[in-house]
Amino acid sequence: MNDFDKRWQTCAARARQAPARSESPPPGFAMRVLGRKPSAMEMALEALWERLAMRWLAGVAAVLVVCAALELPNLRAAPLLKPGIENTVTQLAWKL
Amino acid sequence: MAEAEFDLARCLASVLQHDEEAARTLVDRLYPQVIRIVRGHLPRRAAEQDLAQEIFAKLFSKLQDYRPQQSVPFENWVSRLAVRTCLDALRAEKRRPELRWGDLPEEQAAWLEFMLADDSAPPDSDAASARELLDRLLSQLKSEDRLVITLLDLDQKSVKEISQLTGWSIPLVKVRAFRARRKLRKVAQVFRERNVHERL
Repeated sequence: MNDFDKRWQTCAARARQAPARSESPPPGFAMRVLGRKPSAMEMALEALWERLAMRWLAGVAAVLVVCAALELPNLRAAPLLKPGIENTVTQLAWKL
Repeated sequence: MAEAEFDLARCLASVLQHDEEAARTLVDRLYPQVIRIVRGHLPRRAAEQDLAQEIFAKLFSKLQDYRPQQSVPFENWVSRLAVRTCLDALRAEKRRPELRWGDLPEEQAAWLEFMLADDSAPPDSDAASARELLDRLLSQLKSEDRLVITLLDLDQKSVKEISQLTGWSIPLVKVRAFRARRKLRKVAQVFRERNVHERL
């Protein structure tokens, strides 16, 4: 421990002797705290919302996975239209 | 309610059943413990009653998560919640107040002279002025550094207790304490140098 640290500890030891202030709650403190406390109904609704939200999230994730699995075989790039149809469309467009 | 008659488990069960009388009893019982923590780690611009109220509001909203069988005493659980709330408040403090030698009352300036001098006896001033000076110096540190020094040197908690209160590992607490003390020394030295420049 160097000199500054020793002197810091001396000062801290003196500071610890500072007289303790009152530790009893001021009048009405508990009432103010309970006023901020969410009511039973709010807490129940919050818990319900939280539970449902998590379930919905899980459900949506499952649907997305199923969709991806179903689409997987069709991922190869397929021609948009067959050549015969393409030709017909081109001729029609040319005449117009 | 007398100390011997207080049944914590029953009180907590009643609070969870939304019994207001039990909640009031719990607030009154925990207030001294919470206010001691708040006073030790209060941001300069915050009001201690507001911070204490915030801690109790968090306590009630998280009470259903407390599991007595996890071998964490309820008082320790409350202390941890209070320390973390204070740490959040300290982090939210945007600016650290500027430290000026001229703003120090004579007794506090004497303590600072003592800390920075090579050979002088501790001043014969009261404990409150020593405490105020330490608070001023600590206010110059980052929130985590301030917290670790306050817990270690002023509250005289062990490294293990600090680890439990903050959720930091024991090596992290030691490293933070070491670095915080070094920064503290630097803050005091810079403060003295600035004072010398101001006098010139």
